[in-house]
Amino acid sequence: MRLYKKEGNTVHILSFPTENIEKGDYLQIEDPKQNRALITQVIDVQFANVPGILEELLRDSTNGENTRLNGQDFDPLEVSSHITFIQDSCLLVCKIRASLDSGKLSASSAWLPSRSQSIIKKLPTSSLLNLIKMNHSLPIQLGQTKDEASLNIDATSLDGKLNIVTGKKETGKSHLSKLLALSLISHGAPVVVLDLNGEYAHLGYGADGKKNEYDTKVNVLTPSENFKVALAHLKLRVILNILIHALNLPGTSAREFRRIWQFLDERATLTLHELGEAIRNWRCNQHVRDALFSRYYALLNSGFFTDNPSESLSLEDCFQRIRSGGALVVNLRDTSLVDRQIVVEYVLGKLVDLLTQQKLRAVFLFAEEAHLYLRETYWDDIVTRMRHFGVFTTFVTNQPDTIRENIYRQADNVFLFNFTNEHDLETVSRAAKVDAETVKSIARDLPSHHCLMLGVAVKDFPMVVRVKALNVQTMGQTRLFFKAKN
Amino acid sequence: MIQQTQYTPTTTKYNFPQSALQDTALPIRFIELSLRSIKNIANQDATLLYQPYETLSENSDSAEEITPVFHGQTKLRLNFIPLKPLPEETPVVAIDVSSIKIGETTTGILLAIRGAIVWKKQRHYHFLRIGPFPFHITEENKQEIYQLFRQYSLDALAPNTTSAPSLIHMQTRITTLLERWLQMNIATQSQNTLILWDGSLTAGTNDSPTHLITQLLETARNRLNTVLAFTKITRLRLSGHRLTDLIEKCKPPCLLEMDGYPMTPSNNIQFLGNIYVAKLTQGNCSFRLDIDCKLPREQAVEAIQRLLANDQLSESYPETLRLAHIYSTFTANEVIAIQRLLSQTHGIKTITRPNIRRLLFGPFGKGPEGG
Repeated sequence: MRLYKKEGNTVHILSFPTENIEKGDYLQIEDPKQNRALITQVIDVQFANVPGILEELLRDSTNGENTRLNGQDFDPLEVSSHITFIQDSCLLVCKIRASLDSGKLSASSAWLPSRSQSIIKKLPTSSLLNLIKMNHSLPIQLGQTKDEASLNIDATSLDGKLNIVTGKKETGKSHLSKLLALSLISHGAPVVVLDLNGEYAHLGYGADGKKNEYDTKVNVLTPSENFKVALAHLKLRVILNILIHALNLPGTSAREFRRIWQFLDERATLTLHELGEAIRNWRCNQHVRDALFSRYYALLNSGFFTDNPSESLSLEDCFQRIRSGGALVVNLRDTSLVDRQIVVEYVLGKLVDLLTQQKLRAVFLFAEEAHLYLRETYWDDIVTRMRHFGVFTTFVTNQPDTIRENIYRQADNVFLFNFTNEHDLETVSRAAKVDAETVKSIARDLPSHHCLMLGVAVKDFPMVVRVKALNVQTMGQTRLFFKAKN
Repeated sequence: MIQQTQYTPTTTKYNFPQSALQDTALPIRFIELSLRSIKNIANQDATLLYQPYETLSENSDSAEEITPVFHGQTKLRLNFIPLKPLPEETPVVAIDVSSIKIGETTTGILLAIRGAIVWKKQRHYHFLRIGPFPFHITEENKQEIYQLFRQYSLDALAPNTTSAPSLIHMQTRITTLLERWLQMNIATQSQNTLILWDGSLTAGTNDSPTHLITQLLETARNRLNTVLAFTKITRLRLSGHRLTDLIEKCKPPCLLEMDGYPMTPSNNIQFLGNIYVAKLTQGNCSFRLDIDCKLPREQAVEAIQRLLANDQLSESYPETLRLAHIYSTFTANEVIAIQRLLSQTHGIKTITRPNIRRLLFGPFGKGPEGG
């Protein structure tokens, strides 16, 4: 390999066919005279701009089995092998990730290595990991890199952080988020999963269908089945959020509801039945009464609320159970949009209450396709206010444009799977953790179950990893019509 | 069984394609000489090769055309011969040779040479490429190289009075000599074939001695072959008129025959072919076409008509000859490949000479070095 060009933090390296360099590989450009080296990452592999190549290809296109021109070369000096060698030489477009000055890493890339003297070599992942000194006190093994090195991140790199797992359908996003969730559980962390498709419900079972070590730690809560709550367990703020944001209750009606709620609360009669009676008998405008009634019946029909104390679940107790490692999987499958929003408002409201009261230290929240149940105002809340309370969110989505730009900018870790759509790539490239070119170029060519990791978990050295298999019932597969028939 | 010859560790065994060429003596000597001349540079103290600025300007077409002056007519008379394809299966063979300057050394020049033969038989085109052969030509070895080419190019039949030309002209000279050798091989191995040459049938120059061209044509004739020589760019004029312009009025395919006889600008120069202007297809191009003058006129015209039926023509130019040119021509990448070969096998490094024109005239420094 030879150093060809440096423009800004982009380096162009000439590589020859025998060197077998691919996108995502790290290269070390060592200048022995300066005792310095640049650590660069290949973000694109192009053909070298060889003069006369077009003429040669055109000439060769007339020559072959399927054409009417056949022939042979008498080339005793074997010049043709050199021609092929030059034709196949490539240009590696690399981004500078760090500088190595006397063995110490620094972010500076202000110096220029010698073009003629520099020695360029491939940097194995294991050497890179040694250089960047990854902390492995609480390791999470994600899988293997291309050079078969095991890649571990540290659980602390997810602690207090905002993470995004994104990629197109069937590339392995849910698989990775399950791996992260189970690893956090193993390290004693409490995890809450807002499970849109019921994929996490069987994490307590191995691939063979038998119970695994997570069986007692994974608690699946299915709304209106084993997850019902009594109104008395709700704070006024939470029920108002449900009414206003999930059920679109107007402001005037919300004021009347507040009075009704306080009235019932003072009398310790907060039940569905009493609430209905109170609305019926409350002295108020008929339109307000109608509005309150329609919301009341929505709450009633959701099946999520109950007056039966034996059916009512204490979410606080559930959180206590997972305090030292476990997951609450809120199964939102087969739940309508409105009911889903009611449940999420309740869970998040309760979560913030518990965290505010210091009853919970912190919680890792996994939100799949959050745009389908999270109200608009929650996005900012999650990345700013709730984060300070101790809710550390991982968004999982295959529609990157449903996550707002400011979320990408503030994300600490991005786990990026394959995208081919330009619009999706453009959206994802707004993540502040790496330049847009890296994201667009590498993510486009990622094979299935390969993930480009960006952010603090890899100390801002983007790495491609093949996510390891999980011995759990993942349930993420799409139900097929023809498979069942066959 | 052919003896497999191993010349150097880097030169692997080879089988010369017997089907195309029977006389393999020159290629074998070529390799030997090529390797010996290259080793000659490697043995020098400084194994530096200076990249020439005119690397990509090939010299294969550099021989200046000798144009005849037509006498014996008082006014301009144009004799148009309409042509009709003669659909009789006839093989068509074309030969072309290219050379290119790879660089300069402190003692000489390094050039590469390659020949191509393309033939069409039963509606299929075939090619044989010979080379490239790099040569390091110095004042010391130029005589040896020149004599080798002369020996294998029938030039040896002539009295050996001429010494090797200056280094500047060696490239053109050995290119022509290889071309003549290939032409002779084809002439002796073919029968009833149309043989297409790139250039004219003008003889009597250093590159094309009369006795050599005469013998080439005679060999071809004896084996019922017809040599058709196409000159791509001609300055042929008749009474001041450019002949290739005059044929525009004629409906192709047709030939334009000169009414008169050609006079040479020098006593030594001889035109061994009848000179025509050929416009064989619709389009803008027409070419000077020389046909062996010892052939009866009817046979010459018939040969063109056979060509029309047996080869594809584009812009009046035969496809076999076009392919021969394409296959022999060097690309910039091939020049780099040869420089790489020399660097790898003999440690010869190529460096670029300072650009004198640029140094002196800055942005006004144009020309071959100016870029």
